Amino acid sequence: MPPAIRLTDVSKRFNGVAAVDALTLDVPQGSIYGFIGPNGSGKTTTLRMIMRILLPDQGRIEVLGSADTSAARDRISYLPEERGLYKKMTVRRLLRYYGQLKGRTVAELDPVIDDWMARLGMDGWGDKKIEALSKGMSQKVQFVGAVISKPDLLILDEPFSGLDPVNAEALKDAVLEIRRRGTTVVFSTHDMTTAERMCDRIFMIFRGKKVLDGTLEDIQAQYGFDTIRLRTADGAAALSEMAGVQAVNDYGQLQEVRVAGDPQAFLKALASRTAVHQFEITRPSLHDIFVRIARPGGNGGPS
Amino acid sequence: MKNKAVIVAISEFTTLVQSKAFIVGLLMMPLFSGVALGVQKFTKDATDINDRRFAVVDRTGVLFAPLKAAAEEWNAAVRAQSPQSMPLYLPTEVKVEDRDDQALAALSDKVRRGEFFAFVEIPANAMDPAGGEPLRYYSNHPAYRPLPGWISATVNREIVNRRFRDAAVDRALVSRLTRRVEMSELGLLQRDTAGAIHAAPAIDKVRTIAIPVGMMMILLFSVMSGAPQLLNSVIEEKMSRISEVLIGSVTPFELMMGKLAGCVGVSLLLAVVYIIGGIIVARHFGYGDVVRGSDIAWLFLFLLMASFMFGSVFITIGAACSDLKDAQGMMPPAMLLLMLPWLTWFAVLNAPDSPMAMGLSFFPTATPFLMLLRIMLPPGPPAWQVAVSVVIMIVATFAMVYAAGKVFRTGLLMQGKAATFGEMWRWVRAN
Repeated sequence: MPPAIRLTDVSKRFNGVAAVDALTLDVPQGSIYGFIGPNGSGKTTTLRMIMRILLPDQGRIEVLGSADTSAARDRISYLPEERGLYKKMTVRRLLRYYGQLKGRTVAELDPVIDDWMARLGMDGWGDKKIEALSKGMSQKVQFVGAVISKPDLLILDEPFSGLDPVNAEALKDAVLEIRRRGTTVVFSTHDMTTAERMCDRIFMIFRGKKVLDGTLEDIQAQYGFDTIRLRTADGAAALSEMAGVQAVNDYGQLQEVRVAGDPQAFLKALASRTAVHQFEITRPSLHDIFVRIARPGGNGGPS
Repeated sequence: MKNKAVIVAISEFTTLVQSKAFIVGLLMMPLFSGVALGVQKFTKDATDINDRRFAVVDRTGVLFAPLKAAAEEWNAAVRAQSPQSMPLYLPTEVKVEDRDDQALAALSDKVRRGEFFAFVEIPANAMDPAGGEPLRYYSNHPAYRPLPGWISATVNREIVNRRFRDAAVDRALVSRLTRRVEMSELGLLQRDTAGAIHAAPAIDKVRTIAIPVGMMMILLFSVMSGAPQLLNSVIEEKMSRISEVLIGSVTPFELMMGKLAGCVGVSLLLAVVYIIGGIIVARHFGYGDVVRGSDIAWLFLFLLMASFMFGSVFITIGAACSDLKDAQGMMPPAMLLLMLPWLTWFAVLNAPDSPMAMGLSFFPTATPFLMLLRIMLPPGPPAWQVAVSVVIMIVATFAMVYAAGKVFRTGLLMQGKAATFGEMWRWVRAN
């Protein structure tokens, strides 16, 4: 089975600056693929090239088995980061319009629209104008607009940003439901927890280059068990000026620490300073990996 | 399955006709006409009827009496009106010595204080046929014309009468002998198929001037109500990133053509409404036969071309800018093109066969409007000129749509500063 998306040595430059640099990537069909990376790293540019909104300066892009991505246009849906809705249109008219542009008829669309609106708690909102909707409601309308054509590939740019927990949960369930129906889902996010929990595979782009690509386990395995998650009576203060401590990520009640040398010796030294309630040798979280790569002076990828 | 450009066109059309701008556009022409007629009627009926009290310094010593008599005659006629629509003229003779500037200054003060509306000085040699000094009318209301006009006409009539009398010439005889012969303006005699000759019809200003100008105005208002809205539409889609969603579903060219077609549909709808309204009004005034089918066909052909042409211009500006403020900076050249026929149609009306009229009607953005006017003004331009104008218009329309497509494709997804004309030209030339 060919991948849903195949990028081969794709580059894109803006005013001489490489936004995407020699990127090669396969997105398997039926997967949920998470694109992560700091702001300005090239995520949106990559998504726009997949959608053929932008054309690459070099390289080859195949979508749903075709290098002519415009041919597959009706089988792909895209939710941009900045939500594009006509303020003066009613919800139903807008959804019909977006669905018709994907080659569906009004007769096909209306039951699907009703179904999605009911599923996302928007019953009775069809005749409301977009300008009357809250931000969260507008985002849900935009999401419905992207899925009513029953695409084979759904590309979502920051789908959960700005949503309250209830709406984010509803959208998360909707994405999983769509994947269960066989749609490949690609989404970009800054929320590492969401990426860890939802994505089959994760891809990280940094300064236009691919720095991570694989399952969460694959990625974490590249870093090994180099993280100690601990909870002590004195919190982060207990770690002050301790020998062997390379980095501390303080969450208040809990700290994640990287140490050089033997973790058991570190535990012994720590126990002599404070009461240790929790001591867990673990792999780094995706958040931690992200920060290690993307922070100023970061290493740009696993060693 | 519907063509995607058609889906865009239907959506654009529906959005535009539901907008306030369309309603305003629909009402604009009848509103303009109604307001113009209303203002005329109001200003005609609402003449200032306050009494006009004025001083007369008559150095001839003989003209004040007939002036006063004429004023009384005037006032009697005015008093007979119901309601009164003219002011009463109330002259007062004031004796002032020659070169007595103090007295004239005192009269000026009285005018300033409102005791008099004006004063007039009739020089001693006013009746001299060899050329006396002019009458001098002093007022602080220079814009008010009826009173000085009446004084001048009345005094001159009396002076001429006196000159005839002094020369022992019968004024009534002279009037009869010098009476003008009127001229009626006619069209041409017609010969029917049986060879019978039909009398030439009288020239009807409504048929020969008002209808052609009205048709051109319908064309102009229809284009102005439709095309500029594309600018707002494109900028809204750019600013709210709707264009990214759309480009994920349709090609930029399909999107642009759909938007253009929607806008053309709006202009056509406006023209249909105006024409139907115009025909109803024309029938009401007995001119039901005045608009020919061929004229309407020409109007719609030119409207189609003009809408595509100007729609392309406004789409280009919208695609090149990221907000309305940027767009306002690029609008003047486009508006100048749109205003060109507005600024020149009167000259074309007066001399439709002149080289200037021909040249202007071959200038692409003015062609639809001015050639339509020329076609409708009898006897109409030569057929070759009409053919050339149609070819010019078709070529220009295709060129503008092509250029707009190039700019639209590149500019639609650009954010930040507006493109310069140089950048747009590079986009047009790029493959």
